[in-house]
Amino acid sequence: MKDIIDRIKTKYTISEVVEQRKNLSFVTVSKEQAISIITFLRDIEGFKHLVLLTAADWIENDKFQLTYLLNNPTEKIDLGVRVFISRENASMESAHHLWEQVATYQRELKEMFGIDFPDSPGVDKPFILEGWEDIPPYRRDFDTKQYSEDTYFPRPGRESNDPAEYMKKKLYPNE
Amino acid sequence: MKLKDILSPFTAWKHVVREPVTIKDPFSREGADRYRGFHKNDIETCIGCGTCEDICQNAAIDMVPVEGIETKDGDSGLRPQIDYGRCCWCALCVDVCTTNSLSLSNHFTWVDEDADVFRFIPGVDKKDWDNEERGWKKPEPNYELYEKERVPMRELHPEERDKSFIEMVKGYSKEEAEREADRCVECGICIATCPAHMGIPEYIKAVREDNIEEGFKKLYETNPLPEICGRICTHKCETVCSVGHTGDPLSIRWLKRYIADQVESEDYKNILGTDGIENNGKKIAIIGSGPSGLSAAHYLALMGYQVKIFEAFDKAGGMMRYGIPEYRLPYDQIDKDINYILSLGVEIQYNTKVGKDVSLADLEKEYDAVFAGTGLHLGRSTRIPGSDHENVYFATDLLREITQGKEIHVAEKIVVIGGGNVAMDITRSLARLQNQKYGKVDVTATSLESEDIMPADREEIVESREEKAIVDPGWGPTSIEIENNKIKGLHVQKCTSVFDEEGRFNPKFDESQTKFFEADMIVESIGQGMDIEYISKDIREQMEFDPRGRIIVDDYFQSGAKWLFVGGDIIQGPDVIHGIANGHRAAIGIDKYLNEKA
Repeated sequence: MKDIIDRIKTKYTISEVVEQRKNLSFVTVSKEQAISIITFLRDIEGFKHLVLLTAADWIENDKFQLTYLLNNPTEKIDLGVRVFISRENASMESAHHLWEQVATYQRELKEMFGIDFPDSPGVDKPFILEGWEDIPPYRRDFDTKQYSEDTYFPRPGRESNDPAEYMKKKLYPNE
Repeated sequence: MKLKDILSPFTAWKHVVREPVTIKDPFSREGADRYRGFHKNDIETCIGCGTCEDICQNAAIDMVPVEGIETKDGDSGLRPQIDYGRCCWCALCVDVCTTNSLSLSNHFTWVDEDADVFRFIPGVDKKDWDNEERGWKKPEPNYELYEKERVPMRELHPEERDKSFIEMVKGYSKEEAEREADRCVECGICIATCPAHMGIPEYIKAVREDNIEEGFKKLYETNPLPEICGRICTHKCETVCSVGHTGDPLSIRWLKRYIADQVESEDYKNILGTDGIENNGKKIAIIGSGPSGLSAAHYLALMGYQVKIFEAFDKAGGMMRYGIPEYRLPYDQIDKDINYILSLGVEIQYNTKVGKDVSLADLEKEYDAVFAGTGLHLGRSTRIPGSDHENVYFATDLLREITQGKEIHVAEKIVVIGGGNVAMDITRSLARLQNQKYGKVDVTATSLESEDIMPADREEIVESREEKAIVDPGWGPTSIEIENNKIKGLHVQKCTSVFDEEGRFNPKFDESQTKFFEADMIVESIGQGMDIEYISKDIREQMEFDPRGRIIVDDYFQSGAKWLFVGGDIIQGPDVIHGIANGHRAAIGIDKYLNEKA
């Protein structure tokens, strides 16, 4: 794995390397170089399989993190390519030309995070949220708990206790 | 329809002979080592703080009572019940868990026909995965949703403080207070342990949100002496803080002080809305202006009672002024709290000792009810040979005289007998006075209790040592050696245990291990007694006493003489916060008693 990362480094810039375990590492790269590095990994380094494309919302830093998890079936190793993009008008170059199924991931990310992938086929088509009008639900500023409370009802028979209130009831009911 | 459309479904049959890509037996396939599977909870470690319930975005967790788990200080007795109809296994509950009791195993298959079994109490309802080591645990270190370490308090350096009585703790800045308040998980476990049951999470939240007025109002709901308590409260609340299980407990006391420090005296009435209280025409006498008396006076005044406090000394505050040294509690801060209470119309008659200058029977006649919070003022003696020497003093007497500005005898070599906060107070006061007088410190505090069970607050012991006093615990005094009428020192023997199996005070000694502390002055600080001479015999006959001579009162601190309420150190404590709680409760009791009587 170290060799591969060294070889990427001769051509590109990597800002962080995390070795999760022997057969899984993550590299952080710039938005501008990302697709080029992924292409290099696919065509030269044998990472022929895209395991997944996912995102995380780092609202504190005003960034989205995209992770392209790639698999090299011959070497049986995984490499995750992390890219941080601005949260505002979030947009990323499409990678559907490398793997056709990326379009589906990108469609999902558009719907769940509001990250745009211009020219990705069908990126604006609704994915699983029917008639969603709120802000994209995977964004951290979406109040999931409030949504749960407004949308769903508690299962009959469910009861909870506030620890402080319960302790008052048990330990000093008359005070 | 084309022929192809008819034939194509049959072409699927060719897959029958293909090697399947799915897994033949998904049930015995193991999850990855860090897989977030089914919940486990170490119920002995869990304290039922409910932070998991609070963070759960799917409202999948309920806090429920569990048979066999008792509700007690620091443990709500509740445990999380998880509804797998809602859980998404995000593990936020694990990541936020204050005790690290909650974790996820890597088990992920569970089949049952009864949907209700999927609502279960991890750790209580036994499961196959309870002992599974693999799964998701909070990764350590640097994976915390809140800061584990408290924001340090800025203090005067030992060399800056060991010669003077100026306040050593500087207090938090706005930024520091907000950062500290941000560590609170708002579980409220601390409320039960606080004798006054203060709304701690709410006032900490007010600090976090920079809403000082709201926090200040919250303080006064249960505690009318926040400047004082913000400095010298024994902060039992901090001993049970949930965040303290895997990090430093919240600095609850310093945050209380921060709120009170932000409010100027002239704004108190405006913020608390206490202008123009209507007088109800009833009069209450209070004996003693210590914490319980002041607290009772405050809450009675708010209810419209006309309150008069009878105080033996020429200043108010009781032990807070005459017992606690100025470097811990400056006099202007005591005055700030008391002046507000006086501004509500409470009167204090100084230099008036009930029982001598005015009788309790007179108070009964002139007032609708009386509250006595006269405290523990009499020093207790070890009564060891030599303890009647003139250079053997009681700590309470010396502390009082220091406050009164009297010059006290300060010898070059001093031994203090006692391991409580009063012993530390006199040790540190004498260290300062020795420094002023001799330019060096030579004071040793010795207690029966070994260091781990010394009753003094830990920081008091640490700070005493920083100020070059010696704390040498675990010794029982046997005699004071006197030669030519001069004290030579204190003989002690090793104390092997202080309490017996029933938890009663019954010290055991190893007589073969002895030690001699050289000294020319000895201070006894082994506890204080009450002086209730002012309660005359006929009144006492109406009251009830336990076999040890202590006054028995009901839940409202009402004594057998129905018009007389008694609280503070003589009933519970000794500490300021119990006094405050007692006074508040007695005020409610007095109001109830007078309303029922009317």
